[in-house]
Amino acid sequence: MDLSTFGAILSYAVELETKAAEFYGGNAQGKLEEVFTDLAGGSDKRVRRLELIRQEGISEMILEPITGFNSGDHSLDKVSEAGEPLKQAFMIETVMGEFYSEGSKKIPIREVVRVFQRMAEDNNKRKVQLEKLLE
Amino acid sequence: MKTDVLKNYIDGEWEESAAEETLEIRNPATDEIITHVPMSTVEEVDQAVKAAKAAFQEWRETTPYSRARFMFRLKVLMEKRFEELARTIVVEHGKIIDEARGEVRRGIENIEVAAGVPSMMMGYNMEDAAAGIDEDCVLQPIGVFCCVGPFNFPNMVPLWFLPYAVACGNTYIVKPSERCPMSQNLLFEIFDEVDFPPGVVNLVNGDKRVVNALLEHPDLAGLSFVGSTPVGKLLYKKSAENGKRAQIQAGAKNCLVVMPDTVLDKTVAAIMTSAFGTAGQRCLAGALIVAVGDIYEELKDRIVESASKLRVGNGLDEKTQMGPVISKSSRERIIGYIEKGVEEGATLLLDGRGIKVEGYPNGYFLGPTIFTDVTPDMVIAREEIFGPILGIIRVKDFDEAIEVINNSPYGNAASLFSTGGKWAREFKYQVRAGNIGINIGIAAPIASFPFSGMKNSFFGDLHGQGRDAIEFFTDRKVIISRWF
Repeated sequence: MDLSTFGAILSYAVELETKAAEFYGGNAQGKLEEVFTDLAGGSDKRVRRLELIRQEGISEMILEPITGFNSGDHSLDKVSEAGEPLKQAFMIETVMGEFYSEGSKKIPIREVVRVFQRMAEDNNKRKVQLEKLLE
Repeated sequence: MKTDVLKNYIDGEWEESAAEETLEIRNPATDEIITHVPMSTVEEVDQAVKAAKAAFQEWRETTPYSRARFMFRLKVLMEKRFEELARTIVVEHGKIIDEARGEVRRGIENIEVAAGVPSMMMGYNMEDAAAGIDEDCVLQPIGVFCCVGPFNFPNMVPLWFLPYAVACGNTYIVKPSERCPMSQNLLFEIFDEVDFPPGVVNLVNGDKRVVNALLEHPDLAGLSFVGSTPVGKLLYKKSAENGKRAQIQAGAKNCLVVMPDTVLDKTVAAIMTSAFGTAGQRCLAGALIVAVGDIYEELKDRIVESASKLRVGNGLDEKTQMGPVISKSSRERIIGYIEKGVEEGATLLLDGRGIKVEGYPNGYFLGPTIFTDVTPDMVIAREEIFGPILGIIRVKDFDEAIEVINNSPYGNAASLFSTGGKWAREFKYQVRAGNIGINIGIAAPIASFPFSGMKNSFFGDLHGQGRDAIEFFTDRKVIISRWF
């Protein structure tokens, strides 16, 4: 789907974070319990942040149509093909980081751009953390 | 959704109207009846004004700080029900969900500004106006005010006025649009939860009979209105005849001037929202592109290309970029203007008449429509259409563009798209319109600024929002004192 409005981008971000939270919560077992519980909590917090941004960040002056940003390019549908949970988690963080990075170039509201950029950076930090566990 | 009859909110209570007549409210995307609105009676108007008058003395004696705290509570409760308010607006009006969210946001911003009333209501003074004589000026509330809301921003517009009026110590009556009353009625559920003293805020549903009854009521101090110029002029006259303060924000025919030095990508994107946002049903909509010199050919092609890609549909779908127009009759009226444009000799580049929206066969949809070869004397260039129709006028230079704008009887908004500071400065200086955009397609003032307007776009002296609103809703009292 074309993410052609501010609200569509934010709503899709909520959808992605909700899926991520469900994955982490459902796989928080054994040696992954602590790190996945932490990540699930982080995704839940992001959902709340994104919903607040969707509500407070909107500016009627700049509701211009957004082009060239498609949800199909940033999907978590094929994550299960990555195999074991740690590898799936790595893929999740990769997809999310790319989504926020690309999204930050599309949104016309500076405050929201900064939030998206920080979230992309956080996704990258999580990837580094997960990579260490994979070694 | 139940198809029941909306109630009035008078003196702190929800009351079923005694009205014999009701109006159907239909979802513009589906044509389904969603509720009914009562055409309230003159007696109910009298009841509301009496309740507001009775509440006034105690309310004006409440301190500004206490009144400001009601505004804080109102904001918190509106934020809690934000998405519900936005979705209600979409269902009754048809605009897309992002536009509805933007509308709720702007309404809340007015409450946030009005919460600053402890500072904004401060007066001024001077010692020794004459030797040993001091002079003070204080701002005092006046009494009962009302507003008549438009259909296009059914939730937001009353909040251009009510928060300031009430924060200043006045009491208030809202007559919401009879075409889009639901989100305002939902807002009054929130007012009820805020728990204002009974009579401070009141809601009376109805049509022009309610408006006339309000204006004729001896205890009403003033009226705020947003709507068309013909109705606005009538109400302004009637307000004066009845000794009421009035602020009348009326119609528009806004020009977007595009200079050859503009950044075209960003300009075209801004034009899309300006012309087709809210399906063109807004007083800040860009109705006419004034293309200066060489920019014309590429601009025309890019505008048509972008507009033809806009996704028209149900506003609740996040993919939708333009919703339906408000009613079947509005759709027919707008189609009449398209036919008129063709008849007048304008060239129809994009025809929105044949649009079909899958899944919504009965919705009041019209696609974006673009004319070129428009001249200022044409009906489609002179009259406010209030629909998704954009006309392109070609001019040779900047001066001719200014002439086109200033010859219009309207003066609501005008925008310039240019990278040249010199053009921007000249534009701001010369154009006779109240809301000016420089590389902005929708020049919507934020809440701490007045929502301006000139010529036939505004009647009165003080606008809605910001400090203008504080001045409108207060009187100045000068006290000269000496002590023996």
